[in-house]
Amino acid sequence: MNWNIIVENIPLYFTGMKLTLFLAFTSLALSFIIAVPLSFLRNSARSGVRYAVSAYTLLFRGTPLLVQLFLIYFGLAQFGLIRHSFMWPWLSSPLVCVLLAFVLNTAAYTTEIFAGALRSIPVGELEAARAYGLPKSKQAIRILVPAMLTRALPLYGNEMIMMLHATSLASTVTLLETTGVARRITLDNYIQFEPYVTAAGIYLTITFVIITSFQIVQRRFAGYLEPRSI
Amino acid sequence: MRILINSACALVLATTFLTPAFAAEKVTIATDATFPPFESIDENGKLIGFDIELMEAICKEAELDCDIIGAAWDGMFPSLIEGKYHALISQLTVTDKRRQVVAFSDIYDHPIFRFAAKKGADITISPEGVTGKIIAVQTGTPMDAYVTAHMPGATIKRYDSGSAPFLDLTNGRADLVLGYQAQIVHSFLKTDDGKDFELTGPEMTGKDAKEFGEGVAIAIGKNNTQLVEDVNRGLSKVRENGTLKALMTKYFGE
Repeated sequence: MNWNIIVENIPLYFTGMKLTLFLAFTSLALSFIIAVPLSFLRNSARSGVRYAVSAYTLLFRGTPLLVQLFLIYFGLAQFGLIRHSFMWPWLSSPLVCVLLAFVLNTAAYTTEIFAGALRSIPVGELEAARAYGLPKSKQAIRILVPAMLTRALPLYGNEMIMMLHATSLASTVTLLETTGVARRITLDNYIQFEPYVTAAGIYLTITFVIITSFQIVQRRFAGYLEPRSI
Repeated sequence: MRILINSACALVLATTFLTPAFAAEKVTIATDATFPPFESIDENGKLIGFDIELMEAICKEAELDCDIIGAAWDGMFPSLIEGKYHALISQLTVTDKRRQVVAFSDIYDHPIFRFAAKKGADITISPEGVTGKIIAVQTGTPMDAYVTAHMPGATIKRYDSGSAPFLDLTNGRADLVLGYQAQIVHSFLKTDDGKDFELTGPEMTGKDAKEFGEGVAIAIGKNNTQLVEDVNRGLSKVRENGTLKALMTKYFGE
């Protein structure tokens, strides 16, 4: 065992962890903003809109995230048209490519989670809102979105954890997040167990924090959904 | 039924753990096949390249039963240390750091290291000249060690494979690649992708910076003195009978 090397590299792990957190939470925040409206469109009465959103979620849930990342990072760069376009200053950055892939991917999953929760809202809640004469927009913001989010919490918590772990793929396009740091230490010092166990410990700690906060949020906001004894 | 399953399990375990002890030992040699013209995979999935042919010749001369397999660069050294492989051939430079964890055969080549850049990029290769430039290298290689130690002003992008730095050089994400001159010339500049690029800066060897090592050799498990002996015997025969020279001419025209 050679833990000295790990101790020497604690600052590197710290920057790696910061990048991991940045990637995970930026992707999750952006995809949340995209997924809420998309989940309504996914249940739209107009079949064209519904199919368009379904096609998007199928595309991004139906292909591996690593493949999507490589297509965006290496694949797009192959086309001179894109390299000479106004987008290139953005797409040449690995950070932008990684965030683009992560956001598109997790937004697809989140859309399906939210859309499913929307469908499971009892008709009674919506009828009550109508009975109060709330306009459509208010029905959505005051009734449907909160009801959807509270019902989606357990599944959405899972998606957050999956996204956190998926950030490890960023190391394949040169970003030194937690896994990238572990791999670099492996390559420089020819040890595998210690660097990867340290990385695993970091992910486990962050996951633990996410799970605990979700339990608190769930008790506070989704308590009314719990089965109750009389 | 249960007895049958148990004994089947025992048999599998026994063969897994005991076979190497009494079978005529097959020598497993790993290579990172992302490094043409030294080692790569052809369109049929077969390993090809200078190192592969050299290793096959050595095994033949030393009468070793060799199995050369492709492996991921980031796991190669640890797996050799753990004993999953018996040896590695991958243009591995001999350095003090590597000597601490593995043994090496005799050195079979002295590579030249060069930078590659876009034609007319006019970058001066010096610690000051590359400040602010993006240099792409393969992680954990002598090239990585050299730029990390001597060019702190540059942004260093590190890749898992030997070929990815060239991808990002051609699409403009990197300004410079540091690599083996033979690798740059034969697998990049001569291709369509590399036609707008050129070698730049001085030729560098292990004499110029310790990071470039003493030369390239075959890495072997630290305590496997028998295999070091066998490989060295094969290597000296390959050198004497002209095979090594013929391979150099075939691949590099030297």
